[in-house]
Amino acid sequence: MKEQIVKLIVGNLVEIIPELSEGSVSLDETFVDMGANSIDRAELIMLTLERLDLEVSRIEFVSAQTVNELADLIIQKQQR
Amino acid sequence: MKAGIEAMNIYCGSAALNVVELAKVRNLNIDRFENLLMVEKTVPMPYEDPISNGVNAAKPIIDKLSQEERDRIDMVITCTESGIDFGKSMSTYIHHYLGLNRNCRLIEIKNACYSGTAGFQMALNFIYAQVSPGRKVLVICTDISRMSLVDGSMEASFAEPSTGSGAVAMLISDYPVIFQVDKGANGYYGYEVMDTCRPVPDQEAGDADLSLLSYLDCCENAFREYQKRVEGADYVSTFEYLAFHTPFGGMVKGAHRSNMRKFKRAATEQIEADFNRRVKPSLAYCQRVGNIMGATAHLALASTIDNGDFDKPKRVGLFSYGSGCSSEFYSGIVTAQSQEKLRESNLTKHLNDRYMLSMDEYHHTFETNGEQKFGTRDLKIDSSQFPRAFSHVEGKGRLIFTEIKNYHRIYKWV
Repeated sequence: MKEQIVKLIVGNLVEIIPELSEGSVSLDETFVDMGANSIDRAELIMLTLERLDLEVSRIEFVSAQTVNELADLIIQKQQR
Repeated sequence: MKAGIEAMNIYCGSAALNVVELAKVRNLNIDRFENLLMVEKTVPMPYEDPISNGVNAAKPIIDKLSQEERDRIDMVITCTESGIDFGKSMSTYIHHYLGLNRNCRLIEIKNACYSGTAGFQMALNFIYAQVSPGRKVLVICTDISRMSLVDGSMEASFAEPSTGSGAVAMLISDYPVIFQVDKGANGYYGYEVMDTCRPVPDQEAGDADLSLLSYLDCCENAFREYQKRVEGADYVSTFEYLAFHTPFGGMVKGAHRSNMRKFKRAATEQIEADFNRRVKPSLAYCQRVGNIMGATAHLALASTIDNGDFDKPKRVGLFSYGSGCSSEFYSGIVTAQSQEKLRESNLTKHLNDRYMLSMDEYHHTFETNGEQKFGTRDLKIDSSQFPRAFSHVEGKGRLIFTEIKNYHRIYKWV
């Protein structure tokens, strides 16, 4: 399950920042270090939640700084 | 009955800065700066404060009223997070320098950037209540952010390029020629969140990422509540234009994009076209002034009225968000006459008239800003420090801040 969520997040990140490619995204590098500004990071959370049809307040994902962290947090919220 | 904005004007200072240049100097990541949609910001001069800005915004409105009309102003509300005193309201100074009738309520309202909407709704309800028919309320939304030091935290922060200075003044009455509010069409959404705040005077604190996400949650949920209260309301077909609180343009674009996907399942190209048509006119002024907090939602409305196409009456949807947090989605009607009347104020010319500061001049403002801390007891303002900017107010009938004498603020007309 995590694998699919990670794939979705990476796909969304590349869609938001066209300069990135799926191969260049590191799962443990921070979004900031990959060149995502504040609006890109917010868009990543929005798009990912929308595509998972997950109706959870966006503010609950503010602590996620990397692809892995965001995926783990999503799984945690899905199981709740 | 009708209620809304009878007259409206802005005052966004005498000096501005190119924020793309600033971002470069601060080593911000400018590769993706373009999607933040920031262009310029007003930089407060030492002789400008939230009171003088408020007076300068309201003065042309008051000047056009007859004495009898002026005497019908029953309340002056300042809406702000830049208050100059915990007890005394800025409305008292503004009332004094505008020479208004003393049979008048003078108050100040806050909840971060939501303050303008809070004051606006309070004024509307006073009109709707008809306790004093034919009376008017002067609402002054005024905020300022004075930078006084550059420290490590600013290296990666977009707070500096995004914050501005300015005021929006609105006369609220039962003759809403500029903006006729849809009565009862309000969706609110608020909860406790520690996003951004001013826990100590003269300083912003908090988590910008959290604030962005909270804005997005509120924008969606305030509109959902609006839909519950307004039968048949649709995010696209009900509003010809949208004017949102604009901390920076990219925030509004992001919120609109999310709403279009959530409410309309819209595709990317459709969202972009809709943004250009319905939202972009609201950004023109906000992009040049920066975030003026409590005044920003109504600055976006003024921009829409001036820059939209109103060949027939059209509905504008407004969204206000204030950190902490409180938010509201509401709406009203703008007509060709609204545009004609607002254009008499020539707001674009006012923004074009600001002096563009060099980076050195901008940094020089930091020292003098440092002297103007909250709670200053005595201070004389040297208005000759920035002669190029000052020449943009001198001789134009503007009010300037000149002195603090035993905590009392003193102003003069120049």
